[in-house]
Amino acid sequence: MTHAITLHDITKSYDGFTAVDEFSLEVQRGTVFGLLGPNGAGKTTLIKILTTLMRPTLGDAFVEGHSVLTAGKEVRRMIGVVPQENNLDRYLTARENLALHAKLHGMRPAAYNPRIDELLDMTGLAARQYDFPDTFSGGMQRRLVVARALVHEPRVLFLDEPTTGLDPQSRRSLWDHIRGLRRSMTVFLTTHYMDEADALCDRIMIMDHGKTLADGTAGELKDAFSRAHTYQVEFRRDADRYQGVLAGLPFVKGVERDGSLFQITLADEESIKPLMDHLTGPDIRRICLKEPTLEDVFISLTGEKVRE
Amino acid sequence: MFKGAFSIWGRDMLVLRRSIISELVSVIAYPLTLYLAFGFGLKGYITDVNGVPYPLFIAPGLISMTAVNAAFDESSWSMWFHRKVQRTIEEYRVTPVTVYDIVIGKIFSGFSQGAVKGTVVFLVILLLTPFRIEYAHLPMYLLCIALSSMTFSCLGTICGTVIDKPENIGRVQSVVIVPLIFMAGIFFPLSSYPPSILPLIQLLPTTAVFEGARDALLTGAIPSQYLVNLVLSAALCFTIAVYTFNRKMAE
Ligand SMILES: Nc1ncnc2c1ncn2[C@@H]1O[C@H](COP(=O)(O)OP(=O)(O)OP(=O)(O)O)[C@@H](O)[C@H]1O
Ligand SMILES: [Mg+2]
Repeated sequence: MTHAITLHDITKSYDGFTAVDEFSLEVQRGTVFGLLGPNGAGKTTLIKILTTLMRPTLGDAFVEGHSVLTAGKEVRRMIGVVPQENNLDRYLTARENLALHAKLHGMRPAAYNPRIDELLDMTGLAARQYDFPDTFSGGMQRRLVVARALVHEPRVLFLDEPTTGLDPQSRRSLWDHIRGLRRSMTVFLTTHYMDEADALCDRIMIMDHGKTLADGTAGELKDAFSRAHTYQVEFRRDADRYQGVLAGLPFVKGVERDGSLFQITLADEESIKPLMDHLTGPDIRRICLKEPTLEDVFISLTGEKVRE
Repeated sequence: MFKGAFSIWGRDMLVLRRSIISELVSVIAYPLTLYLAFGFGLKGYITDVNGVPYPLFIAPGLISMTAVNAAFDESSWSMWFHRKVQRTIEEYRVTPVTVYDIVIGKIFSGFSQGAVKGTVVFLVILLLTPFRIEYAHLPMYLLCIALSSMTFSCLGTICGTVIDKPENIGRVQSVVIVPLIFMAGIFFPLSSYPPSILPLIQLLPTTAVFEGARDALLTGAIPSQYLVNLVLSAALCFTIAVYTFNRKMAE
Protein backbone atom coordinates (compact mmCIF):
# COMPACT_ATOMS: atom_id res chain seq x y z
CA MET A 1 0.00 0.00 0.00
CA THR A 2 1.59 3.27 -1.07
CA HIS A 3 -1.31 5.64 -0.41
CA ALA A 4 -1.23 7.59 2.81
CA ILE A 5 -4.67 9.06 2.23
CA THR A 6 -7.59 7.68 0.25
CA LEU A 7 -11.02 9.25 -0.15
CA HIS A 8 -13.89 7.31 -1.69
CA ASP A 9 -16.79 9.42 -2.95
CA ILE A 10 -16.89 11.61 0.12
CA THR A 11 -19.99 13.78 0.39
CA LYS A 12 -20.71 16.19 3.22
CA SER A 13 -23.98 18.09 3.43
CA TYR A 14 -24.92 20.69 6.02
CA ASP A 15 -28.69 20.46 6.15
CA GLY A 16 -29.33 20.55 2.43
CA PHE A 17 -26.20 22.43 1.36
CA THR A 18 -23.50 20.23 -0.15
CA ALA A 19 -20.06 21.41 0.96
CA VAL A 20 -18.15 18.41 -0.42
CA ASP A 21 -19.58 16.51 -3.36
CA GLU A 22 -18.55 12.91 -4.16
CA PHE A 23 -14.90 13.75 -3.67
CA SER A 24 -12.34 11.04 -4.40
CA LEU A 25 -8.59 11.27 -3.99
CA GLU A 26 -5.47 9.25 -3.34
CA VAL A 27 -2.36 10.83 -1.89
CA GLN A 28 0.99 9.10 -2.33
CA ARG A 29 3.05 8.44 0.79
CA GLY A 30 5.91 10.81 1.50
CA THR A 31 4.65 13.59 -0.74
CA VAL A 32 3.41 17.10 -0.11
CA PHE A 33 -0.15 17.49 -1.37
CA GLY A 34 -1.70 20.94 -1.74
CA LEU A 35 -5.41 21.67 -1.84
CA LEU A 36 -6.36 25.03 -3.30
CA GLY A 37 -9.74 26.64 -3.62
CA PRO A 38 -11.60 29.89 -2.96
CA ASN A 39 -13.26 30.66 0.39
CA GLY A 40 -15.99 28.12 1.06
CA ALA A 41 -14.69 25.60 -1.49
CA GLY A 42 -14.79 22.82 1.11
CA LYS A 43 -11.10 22.51 2.07
CA THR A 44 -11.54 22.73 5.82
CA THR A 45 -14.53 20.40 5.64
CA LEU A 46 -12.33 17.79 3.93
CA ILE A 47 -9.61 18.16 6.57
CA LYS A 48 -12.18 17.83 9.35
CA ILE A 49 -13.44 14.61 7.80
CA LEU A 50 -9.92 13.22 7.41
CA THR A 51 -9.00 14.11 11.00
CA THR A 52 -12.21 12.48 12.37
CA LEU A 53 -13.64 15.76 13.65
CA MET A 54 -16.61 15.37 11.35
CA ARG A 55 -18.34 12.37 9.82
CA PRO A 56 -18.96 12.38 6.09
CA THR A 57 -22.61 12.21 5.03
CA LEU A 58 -21.68 9.56 2.46
CA GLY A 59 -18.52 7.70 1.52
CA ASP A 60 -15.48 6.66 3.50
CA ALA A 61 -11.89 7.86 3.80
CA PHE A 62 -8.72 6.07 4.89
CA VAL A 63 -5.57 7.41 6.50
CA GLU A 64 -2.67 4.96 6.42
CA GLY A 65 -5.23 2.25 5.73
CA HIS A 66 -7.50 3.07 8.69
CA SER A 67 -11.08 4.08 8.04
CA VAL A 68 -12.16 7.40 9.53
CA LEU A 69 -15.59 5.85 10.11
CA THR A 70 -14.63 2.69 11.95
CA ALA A 71 -11.05 3.19 13.16
CA GLY A 72 -10.98 6.82 14.25
CA LYS A 73 -8.61 6.15 17.11
CA GLU A 74 -6.03 4.48 14.84
CA VAL A 75 -6.37 7.36 12.37
CA ARG A 76 -5.74 9.88 15.13
CA ARG A 77 -2.65 8.00 16.27
CA MET A 78 -1.17 8.57 12.79
CA ILE A 79 -1.96 12.22 12.26
CA GLY A 80 -0.80 15.66 13.28
CA VAL A 81 -3.18 18.55 12.74
CA VAL A 82 -2.65 22.30 12.35
CA PRO A 83 -6.17 23.75 12.23
CA GLN A 84 -7.11 26.88 10.31
CA GLU A 85 -7.54 28.78 13.60
CA ASN A 86 -4.98 28.40 16.37
CA ASN A 87 -6.45 26.43 19.26
CA LEU A 88 -3.73 26.78 21.87
CA ASP A 89 -4.48 26.58 25.56
CA ARG A 90 -3.87 30.09 26.86
CA TYR A 91 -3.78 28.91 30.48
CA LEU A 92 -0.82 26.64 29.79
CA THR A 93 2.72 27.72 28.92
CA ALA A 94 4.09 26.92 25.48
CA ARG A 95 5.92 23.93 26.87
CA GLU A 96 2.90 22.68 28.80
CA ASN A 97 0.82 22.90 25.63
CA LEU A 98 3.24 20.54 23.93
CA ALA A 99 3.49 18.26 26.97
CA LEU A 100 -0.29 17.89 27.29
CA HIS A 101 -0.47 16.95 23.63
CA ALA A 102 2.23 14.32 24.17
CA LYS A 103 0.34 12.90 27.16
CA LEU A 104 -2.86 12.67 25.14
CA HIS A 105 -0.82 10.59 22.71
CA GLY A 106 0.18 8.34 25.59
CA MET A 107 3.83 9.43 25.59
CA ARG A 108 5.96 9.30 28.75
CA PRO A 109 8.03 12.27 29.98
CA ALA A 110 11.28 10.46 29.13
CA ALA A 111 10.13 10.28 25.51
CA TYR A 112 8.44 13.63 25.11
CA ASN A 113 10.83 15.95 26.95
CA PRO A 114 13.77 15.58 24.53
CA ARG A 115 11.37 15.72 21.59
CA ILE A 116 9.82 18.94 22.90
CA ASP A 117 13.29 20.48 23.39
CA GLU A 118 14.12 19.65 19.81
CA LEU A 119 10.89 21.13 18.44
CA LEU A 120 11.19 24.29 20.52
CA ASP A 121 14.67 24.77 19.11
CA MET A 122 13.49 24.09 15.58
CA THR A 123 10.68 26.63 15.82
CA GLY A 124 12.82 29.20 17.62
CA LEU A 125 10.56 29.22 20.67
CA ALA A 126 12.97 27.73 23.21
CA ALA A 127 13.55 31.08 24.95
CA ARG A 128 9.81 31.62 25.36
CA GLN A 129 8.80 28.10 26.38
CA TYR A 130 7.69 29.11 29.89
CA ASP A 131 5.51 31.97 28.63
CA PHE A 132 1.81 31.80 27.89
CA PRO A 133 0.80 31.77 24.23
CA ASP A 134 -1.38 34.87 24.45
CA THR A 135 1.81 36.87 24.96
CA PHE A 136 3.10 35.56 21.61
CA SER A 137 2.86 37.20 18.20
CA GLY A 138 0.62 35.57 15.62
CA GLY A 139 3.60 33.98 13.90
CA MET A 140 4.97 32.54 17.13
CA GLN A 141 1.58 31.07 18.01
CA ARG A 142 1.36 29.50 14.58
CA ARG A 143 4.80 27.94 14.96
CA LEU A 144 3.80 26.59 18.35
CA VAL A 145 0.72 24.95 16.80
CA VAL A 146 2.94 23.38 14.15
CA ALA A 147 5.39 22.17 16.81
CA ARG A 148 2.48 20.69 18.76
CA ALA A 149 1.30 18.76 15.70
CA LEU A 150 4.77 17.22 15.38
CA VAL A 151 5.40 16.17 19.01
CA HIS A 152 4.28 12.57 18.50
CA GLU A 153 6.00 12.22 15.10
CA PRO A 154 2.87 11.72 13.00
CA ARG A 155 2.92 9.80 9.73
CA VAL A 156 0.50 12.21 8.07
CA LEU A 157 0.46 15.93 8.78
CA PHE A 158 -2.60 18.08 7.99
CA LEU A 159 -2.02 21.81 7.69
CA ASP A 160 -5.03 24.07 7.11
CA GLU A 161 -3.65 27.37 5.76
CA PRO A 162 -0.47 27.09 7.81
CA THR A 163 1.07 30.41 6.79
CA THR A 164 -1.93 32.72 6.76
CA GLY A 165 -1.03 35.85 8.71
CA LEU A 166 2.71 35.19 8.81
CA ASP A 167 5.38 37.65 7.70
CA PRO A 168 7.57 36.63 4.73
CA GLN A 169 10.41 35.47 6.97
CA SER A 170 8.18 33.23 9.06
CA ARG A 171 6.54 31.86 5.93
CA ARG A 172 9.89 30.95 4.39
CA SER A 173 11.09 29.33 7.58
CA LEU A 174 7.87 27.31 7.86
CA TRP A 175 8.28 26.27 4.23
CA ASP A 176 11.75 25.03 5.07
CA HIS A 177 10.36 22.94 7.93
CA ILE A 178 7.70 21.46 5.69
CA ARG A 179 10.24 20.65 2.98
CA GLY A 180 12.35 18.97 5.64
CA LEU A 181 9.40 16.74 6.58
CA ARG A 182 8.77 15.53 3.06
CA ARG A 183 9.55 11.80 2.59
CA SER A 184 9.55 11.09 6.33
CA MET A 185 5.85 11.93 6.42
CA THR A 186 2.98 12.75 4.13
CA VAL A 187 1.86 16.37 4.20
CA PHE A 188 -1.65 17.47 3.26
CA LEU A 189 -1.97 21.24 3.19
CA THR A 190 -4.46 23.86 2.07
CA THR A 191 -3.45 27.34 1.08
CA HIS A 192 -4.60 30.49 -0.64
CA TYR A 193 -1.06 31.38 -1.70
CA MET A 194 -0.15 30.21 -5.19
CA ASP A 195 3.57 30.76 -4.58
CA GLU A 196 3.30 28.53 -1.53
CA ALA A 197 1.69 25.72 -3.50
CA ASP A 198 4.23 26.23 -6.27
CA ALA A 199 7.17 26.13 -3.87
CA LEU A 200 6.09 23.25 -1.65
CA CYS A 201 3.72 20.84 -3.27
CA ASP A 202 4.54 17.74 -5.28
CA ARG A 203 0.95 17.70 -6.36
CA ILE A 204 -1.73 20.36 -6.42
CA MET A 205 -5.47 20.00 -6.57
CA ILE A 206 -7.77 22.91 -7.22
CA MET A 207 -11.32 22.53 -5.92
CA ASP A 208 -14.47 24.60 -5.78
CA HIS A 209 -18.05 23.96 -4.66
CA GLY A 210 -16.91 20.66 -3.16
CA LYS A 211 -15.59 19.25 -6.43
CA THR A 212 -12.17 18.81 -8.04
CA LEU A 213 -11.41 21.18 -10.92
CA ALA A 214 -7.80 20.33 -11.73
CA ASP A 215 -5.10 18.04 -10.44
CA GLY A 216 -1.39 17.69 -11.19
CA THR A 217 2.05 19.13 -10.47
CA ALA A 218 2.42 22.90 -10.64
CA GLY A 219 4.13 22.47 -14.03
CA GLU A 220 1.37 20.27 -15.42
CA LEU A 221 -1.34 22.65 -14.35
CA LYS A 222 0.44 25.62 -15.95
CA ASP A 223 1.06 23.62 -19.13
CA ALA A 224 -2.52 22.52 -19.40
CA PHE A 225 -3.63 26.10 -19.13
CA SER A 226 -1.10 27.59 -21.49
CA ARG A 227 -3.43 26.02 -24.05
CA ALA A 228 -5.69 28.87 -23.08
CA HIS A 229 -3.34 31.03 -25.22
CA THR A 230 -3.33 34.39 -23.66
CA TYR A 231 -1.44 37.05 -25.62
CA GLN A 232 -0.47 40.49 -24.46
CA VAL A 233 -0.77 43.13 -27.16
CA GLU A 234 0.15 46.77 -26.68
CA PHE A 235 -1.05 49.28 -29.29
CA ARG A 236 0.62 52.51 -30.35
CA ARG A 237 -2.67 54.07 -31.43
CA ASP A 238 -6.33 53.32 -32.15
CA ALA A 239 -6.77 51.25 -28.99
CA ASP A 240 -10.47 52.13 -28.82
CA ARG A 241 -11.12 51.02 -32.37
CA TYR A 242 -9.24 47.76 -31.81
CA GLN A 243 -11.29 47.04 -28.71
CA GLY A 244 -14.41 47.00 -30.88
CA VAL A 245 -12.73 44.87 -33.54
CA LEU A 246 -11.47 42.33 -31.02
CA ALA A 247 -14.83 42.05 -29.32
CA GLY A 248 -16.39 41.08 -32.65
CA LEU A 249 -13.98 38.23 -33.52
CA PRO A 250 -15.47 34.74 -32.96
CA PHE A 251 -12.18 33.09 -31.95
CA VAL A 252 -11.38 35.67 -29.25
CA LYS A 253 -12.57 34.24 -25.94
CA GLY A 254 -11.76 37.16 -23.74
CA VAL A 255 -10.34 40.67 -23.80
CA GLU A 256 -9.03 42.59 -20.82
CA ARG A 257 -7.90 46.14 -21.34
CA ASP A 258 -5.64 48.37 -19.31
CA GLY A 259 -5.07 51.58 -21.29
CA SER A 260 -3.39 50.56 -24.52
CA LEU A 261 -2.39 47.13 -23.14
CA PHE A 262 -4.72 44.24 -24.01
CA GLN A 263 -4.81 40.68 -22.72
CA ILE A 264 -6.39 38.58 -25.42
CA THR A 265 -7.41 35.00 -24.75
CA LEU A 266 -7.82 32.92 -27.91
CA ALA A 267 -9.90 29.82 -28.47
CA ASP A 268 -6.99 27.70 -29.74
CA GLU A 269 -3.47 27.74 -31.10
CA GLU A 270 -4.52 28.29 -34.74
CA SER A 271 -6.38 31.49 -33.91
CA ILE A 272 -3.20 33.55 -33.76
CA LYS A 273 -3.08 33.77 -37.57
CA PRO A 274 -6.57 35.17 -38.18
CA LEU A 275 -5.96 37.50 -35.23
CA MET A 276 -2.87 38.93 -36.91
CA ASP A 277 -4.94 39.47 -40.09
CA HIS A 278 -7.09 41.92 -38.17
CA LEU A 279 -4.21 43.87 -36.67
CA THR A 280 -2.09 46.31 -38.62
CA GLY A 281 1.64 45.93 -38.01
CA PRO A 282 2.63 49.55 -37.35
CA ASP A 283 -0.18 50.00 -34.81
CA ILE A 284 1.36 47.37 -32.57
CA ARG A 285 4.06 48.36 -30.13
CA ARG A 286 4.52 44.89 -28.62
CA ILE A 287 2.95 41.42 -28.79
CA CYS A 288 3.90 38.44 -26.68
CA LEU A 289 2.62 35.14 -25.33
CA LYS A 290 1.77 35.34 -21.67
CA GLU A 291 3.15 32.52 -19.50
CA PRO A 292 0.39 31.47 -17.12
CA THR A 293 1.06 31.59 -13.40
CA LEU A 294 -0.61 29.22 -11.00
CA GLU A 295 -2.75 32.18 -10.07
CA ASP A 296 -4.02 32.48 -13.66
CA VAL A 297 -4.87 28.80 -13.63
CA PHE A 298 -6.69 29.27 -10.35
CA ILE A 299 -8.64 32.33 -11.49
CA SER A 300 -9.58 30.81 -14.83
CA LEU A 301 -10.90 27.71 -13.05
CA THR A 302 -12.70 29.32 -10.17
CA GLY A 303 -13.79 32.62 -11.69
CA GLU A 304 -13.08 36.18 -10.68
CA LYS A 305 -16.06 36.84 -8.52
CA VAL A 306 -15.50 37.27 -4.79
CA ARG A 307 -17.30 34.63 -2.71
CA GLU A 308 -19.96 35.63 -0.27
CA MET B 1 -8.21 2.90 30.35
CA PHE B 2 -9.08 6.59 30.67
CA LYS B 3 -5.48 7.75 30.67
CA GLY B 4 -6.67 10.57 28.43
CA ALA B 5 -9.33 11.57 30.95
CA PHE B 6 -6.63 11.63 33.60
CA SER B 7 -4.39 13.90 31.47
CA ILE B 8 -7.24 16.33 30.81
CA TRP B 9 -8.17 16.35 34.48
CA GLY B 10 -4.48 16.89 35.30
CA ARG B 11 -4.42 19.93 33.02
CA ASP B 12 -7.44 21.42 34.81
CA MET B 13 -5.92 20.80 38.23
CA LEU B 14 -2.65 22.43 37.15
CA VAL B 15 -4.56 25.52 36.06
CA LEU B 16 -6.60 25.50 39.29
CA ARG B 17 -3.41 25.26 41.36
CA ARG B 18 -2.05 28.36 39.67
CA SER B 19 -5.00 30.53 40.57
CA ILE B 20 -6.05 28.81 43.78
CA ILE B 21 -5.65 31.83 46.08
CA SER B 22 -7.80 34.23 44.10
CA GLU B 23 -10.32 31.49 43.38
CA LEU B 24 -10.63 30.66 47.05
CA VAL B 25 -11.01 34.25 48.19
CA SER B 26 -13.95 34.74 45.87
CA VAL B 27 -15.46 31.37 46.62
CA ILE B 28 -15.26 31.76 50.40
CA ALA B 29 -16.63 35.28 50.50
CA TYR B 30 -20.17 34.32 49.45
CA PRO B 31 -21.03 31.48 51.86
CA LEU B 32 -19.21 33.23 54.68
CA THR B 33 -21.28 36.36 54.15
CA LEU B 34 -24.46 34.30 54.14
CA TYR B 35 -23.34 32.49 57.26
CA LEU B 36 -22.61 35.70 59.11
CA ALA B 37 -25.68 37.52 57.84
CA PHE B 38 -28.17 34.72 58.48
CA GLY B 39 -26.43 32.83 61.24
CA PHE B 40 -25.75 35.85 63.39
CA GLY B 41 -28.28 38.30 62.02
CA LEU B 42 -31.21 35.95 62.60
CA LYS B 43 -29.89 34.24 65.69
CA GLY B 44 -31.96 36.45 67.95
CA TYR B 45 -35.13 35.66 66.02
CA ILE B 46 -34.62 31.98 65.30
CA THR B 47 -33.04 30.26 68.21
CA ASP B 48 -33.18 26.80 66.86
CA VAL B 49 -34.81 24.69 64.17
CA ASN B 50 -36.12 21.36 65.40
CA GLY B 51 -33.67 21.58 68.27
CA VAL B 52 -30.65 22.45 66.13
CA PRO B 53 -29.10 25.90 66.73
CA TYR B 54 -29.70 28.03 63.64
CA PRO B 55 -26.02 28.62 62.67
CA LEU B 56 -25.45 24.89 62.94
CA PHE B 57 -28.63 24.29 60.93
CA ILE B 58 -27.45 26.36 57.95
CA ALA B 59 -23.70 25.61 57.97
CA PRO B 60 -23.81 22.16 56.28
CA GLY B 61 -26.06 23.57 53.58
CA LEU B 62 -23.71 26.46 52.90
CA ILE B 63 -20.81 24.10 52.52
CA SER B 64 -22.78 21.83 50.19
CA MET B 65 -23.99 24.85 48.27
CA THR B 66 -20.43 26.02 47.72
CA ALA B 67 -19.43 22.59 46.50
CA VAL B 68 -22.31 22.09 44.06
CA ASN B 69 -22.15 25.67 42.79
CA ALA B 70 -18.42 25.36 42.17
CA ALA B 71 -18.91 22.04 40.41
CA PHE B 72 -21.65 23.41 38.17
CA ASP B 73 -19.74 26.63 37.45
CA GLU B 74 -16.52 24.93 36.54
CA SER B 75 -18.10 22.27 34.38
CA SER B 76 -20.42 24.53 32.44
CA TRP B 77 -18.06 27.44 31.82
CA SER B 78 -15.02 25.31 31.24
CA MET B 79 -16.80 23.07 28.75
CA TRP B 80 -18.19 26.10 26.94
CA PHE B 81 -14.85 27.91 26.97
CA HIS B 82 -12.87 24.94 25.70
CA ARG B 83 -15.47 24.17 23.06
CA LYS B 84 -16.38 27.63 21.75
CA VAL B 85 -13.62 30.07 22.70
CA GLN B 86 -10.33 28.26 22.92
CA ARG B 87 -11.45 25.28 20.81
CA THR B 88 -9.13 23.09 22.83
CA ILE B 89 -11.76 20.34 22.68
CA GLU B 90 -10.96 20.12 18.97
CA GLU B 91 -7.28 19.73 19.78
CA TYR B 92 -8.07 16.92 22.23
CA ARG B 93 -10.27 15.27 19.60
CA VAL B 94 -7.51 14.89 17.02
CA THR B 95 -5.43 12.84 19.47
CA PRO B 96 -6.10 9.14 20.19
CA VAL B 97 -8.24 9.94 23.25
CA THR B 98 -11.96 9.27 22.88
CA VAL B 99 -14.90 11.59 23.51
CA TYR B 100 -15.50 9.55 26.69
CA ASP B 101 -12.04 10.48 27.94
CA ILE B 102 -12.78 14.13 27.31
CA VAL B 103 -16.20 14.28 28.93
CA ILE B 104 -15.18 12.15 31.91
CA GLY B 105 -12.03 14.22 32.44
CA LYS B 106 -14.12 17.38 32.39
CA ILE B 107 -16.77 15.98 34.73
CA PHE B 108 -14.09 15.02 37.23
CA SER B 109 -12.53 18.46 37.00
CA GLY B 110 -15.86 20.03 37.97
CA PHE B 111 -16.24 17.46 40.72
CA SER B 112 -12.75 18.23 42.03
CA GLN B 113 -13.38 21.95 42.06
CA GLY B 114 -16.53 21.32 44.07
CA ALA B 115 -14.69 19.07 46.49
CA VAL B 116 -11.74 21.46 46.97
CA LYS B 117 -13.88 24.55 47.42
CA GLY B 118 -16.40 22.81 49.66
CA THR B 119 -13.59 21.56 51.88
CA VAL B 120 -12.03 24.98 52.15
CA VAL B 121 -15.31 26.65 53.09
CA PHE B 122 -15.82 23.91 55.65
CA LEU B 123 -12.42 24.59 57.19
CA VAL B 124 -12.98 28.33 57.19
CA ILE B 125 -16.36 28.03 58.90
CA LEU B 126 -14.78 25.66 61.39
CA LEU B 127 -11.96 28.10 62.04
CA LEU B 128 -13.92 31.33 62.28
CA THR B 129 -17.09 30.25 64.01
CA PRO B 130 -18.23 28.12 66.91
CA PHE B 131 -19.60 25.57 64.42
CA ARG B 132 -18.44 22.11 65.58
CA ILE B 133 -19.14 18.66 64.29
CA GLU B 134 -18.81 15.05 65.28
CA TYR B 135 -15.85 13.78 63.27
CA ALA B 136 -17.27 10.28 63.15
CA HIS B 137 -20.02 11.73 60.95
CA LEU B 138 -17.59 13.12 58.42
CA PRO B 139 -17.36 10.13 56.01
CA MET B 140 -21.13 10.10 55.38
CA TYR B 141 -21.12 13.84 54.92
CA LEU B 142 -18.28 13.63 52.43
CA LEU B 143 -20.08 10.87 50.53
CA CYS B 144 -23.10 13.13 50.29
CA ILE B 145 -21.00 16.08 49.05
CA ALA B 146 -19.20 13.86 46.54
CA LEU B 147 -22.42 12.52 45.05
CA SER B 148 -23.94 15.98 44.82
CA SER B 149 -20.82 17.53 43.28
CA MET B 150 -20.91 14.74 40.74
CA THR B 151 -24.52 15.47 39.86
CA PHE B 152 -23.93 19.18 39.50
CA SER B 153 -20.73 18.71 37.56
CA CYS B 154 -22.66 16.55 35.10
CA LEU B 155 -25.46 19.12 34.89
CA GLY B 156 -22.85 21.80 34.20
CA THR B 157 -21.24 19.65 31.55
CA ILE B 158 -24.61 19.20 29.84
CA CYS B 159 -25.19 22.97 29.82
CA GLY B 160 -21.68 23.73 28.60
CA THR B 161 -22.14 21.17 25.84
CA VAL B 162 -25.53 22.15 24.45
CA ILE B 163 -25.51 25.90 25.10
CA ASP B 164 -23.54 27.99 22.62
CA LYS B 165 -24.28 31.49 23.91
CA PRO B 166 -22.65 32.36 27.24
CA GLU B 167 -25.56 34.52 28.43
CA ASN B 168 -27.77 31.44 28.29
CA ILE B 169 -25.53 29.61 30.72
CA GLY B 170 -25.97 32.54 33.10
CA ARG B 171 -29.74 32.27 32.61
CA VAL B 172 -29.80 28.57 33.40
CA GLN B 173 -27.89 29.34 36.56
CA SER B 174 -30.28 32.00 37.78
CA VAL B 175 -33.52 30.36 36.60
CA VAL B 176 -32.78 26.70 37.39
CA ILE B 177 -29.80 26.23 39.66
CA VAL B 178 -30.28 29.04 42.18
CA PRO B 179 -34.03 28.34 42.75
CA LEU B 180 -33.31 24.63 43.07
CA ILE B 181 -30.77 25.40 45.77
CA PHE B 182 -32.85 27.93 47.69
CA MET B 183 -36.07 25.91 47.56
CA ALA B 184 -34.32 22.93 49.04
CA GLY B 185 -34.25 24.17 52.61
CA ILE B 186 -30.81 25.50 53.30
CA PHE B 187 -32.20 28.34 55.39
CA PHE B 188 -35.47 26.91 56.65
CA PRO B 189 -36.80 23.47 57.53
CA LEU B 190 -38.81 21.68 54.88
CA SER B 191 -41.69 21.47 57.34
CA SER B 192 -42.35 25.13 56.50
CA TYR B 193 -43.78 24.02 53.16
CA PRO B 194 -47.52 23.37 52.88
CA PRO B 195 -48.07 19.60 53.11
CA SER B 196 -49.50 19.57 49.57
CA ILE B 197 -46.22 20.49 47.86
CA LEU B 198 -43.82 18.93 50.36
CA PRO B 199 -43.64 15.56 48.54
CA LEU B 200 -42.63 17.37 45.37
CA ILE B 201 -39.92 19.33 47.15
CA GLN B 202 -38.63 16.11 48.69
CA LEU B 203 -38.11 14.67 45.24
CA LEU B 204 -35.78 17.48 44.17
CA PRO B 205 -32.18 16.34 43.87
CA THR B 206 -31.14 19.47 45.74
CA THR B 207 -33.34 18.53 48.69
CA ALA B 208 -31.49 15.26 48.87
CA VAL B 209 -28.24 17.23 48.68
CA PHE B 210 -28.97 19.67 51.47
CA GLU B 211 -31.18 17.63 53.77
CA GLY B 212 -28.97 14.62 53.25
CA ALA B 213 -25.83 16.62 54.01
CA ARG B 214 -27.31 18.11 57.14
CA ASP B 215 -28.56 14.77 58.43
CA ALA B 216 -25.24 13.17 57.60
CA LEU B 217 -23.33 15.79 59.51
CA LEU B 218 -25.66 15.94 62.49
CA THR B 219 -26.56 12.27 62.83
CA GLY B 220 -23.91 10.39 60.86
CA ALA B 221 -26.44 8.76 58.52
CA ILE B 222 -28.05 9.78 55.25
CA PRO B 223 -31.78 8.94 55.18
CA SER B 224 -32.16 6.12 52.66
CA GLN B 225 -34.67 8.03 50.56
CA TYR B 226 -32.11 10.81 50.03
CA LEU B 227 -29.22 8.44 49.50
CA VAL B 228 -31.12 6.64 46.74
CA ASN B 229 -32.04 9.99 45.23
CA LEU B 230 -28.40 11.14 45.29
CA VAL B 231 -27.04 7.98 43.74
CA LEU B 232 -29.72 7.86 41.05
CA SER B 233 -29.35 11.56 40.20
CA ALA B 234 -25.59 11.23 39.90
CA ALA B 235 -25.86 8.12 37.73
CA LEU B 236 -28.60 9.58 35.55
CA CYS B 237 -26.86 12.94 35.07
CA PHE B 238 -23.58 11.21 34.31
CA THR B 239 -25.22 9.07 31.63
CA ILE B 240 -27.02 12.04 30.10
CA ALA B 241 -23.85 14.17 30.15
CA VAL B 242 -21.76 11.51 28.42
CA TYR B 243 -24.51 10.82 25.89
CA THR B 244 -25.11 14.52 25.18
CA PHE B 245 -21.44 15.27 24.68
CA ASN B 246 -21.02 12.27 22.43
CA ARG B 247 -23.99 13.37 20.33
CA LYS B 248 -22.78 16.95 20.12
CA MET B 249 -19.33 15.86 18.97
CA ALA B 250 -20.79 13.63 16.25
CA GLU B 251 -22.54 16.61 14.62
N1 LIG C 1 -20.88 23.90 10.47
C1 LIG C 1 -21.34 24.31 9.28
N2 LIG C 1 -22.66 24.45 9.06
C2 LIG C 1 -23.14 24.84 7.85
N3 LIG C 1 -22.36 25.11 6.79
C3 LIG C 1 -21.04 25.01 6.96
C4 LIG C 1 -20.45 24.59 8.19
N4 LIG C 1 -19.11 24.57 8.03
C5 LIG C 1 -18.87 24.94 6.77
N5 LIG C 1 -20.02 25.20 6.11
C6 LIG C 1 -20.14 25.60 4.70
O1 LIG C 1 -19.46 24.66 3.91
C7 LIG C 1 -18.76 25.29 2.86
C8 LIG C 1 -17.32 24.88 2.87
O2 LIG C 1 -16.69 25.38 4.01
P1 LIG C 1 -15.16 25.17 4.33
O3 LIG C 1 -14.90 25.74 5.69
O4 LIG C 1 -14.83 23.74 4.13
O5 LIG C 1 -14.46 26.05 3.22
P2 LIG C 1 -12.92 26.36 2.99
O6 LIG C 1 -12.58 25.86 1.65
O7 LIG C 1 -12.10 25.86 4.12
O8 LIG C 1 -12.92 27.95 2.99
P3 LIG C 1 -11.81 29.01 3.53
O9 LIG C 1 -10.81 29.14 2.46
O10 LIG C 1 -12.60 30.26 3.70
O11 LIG C 1 -11.27 28.48 4.81
C9 LIG C 1 -18.97 26.78 3.04
O12 LIG C 1 -19.94 27.21 2.12
C10 LIG C 1 -19.48 26.93 4.45
O13 LIG C 1 -20.39 27.99 4.53
MG1 LIG D 1 -10.94 26.68 5.53
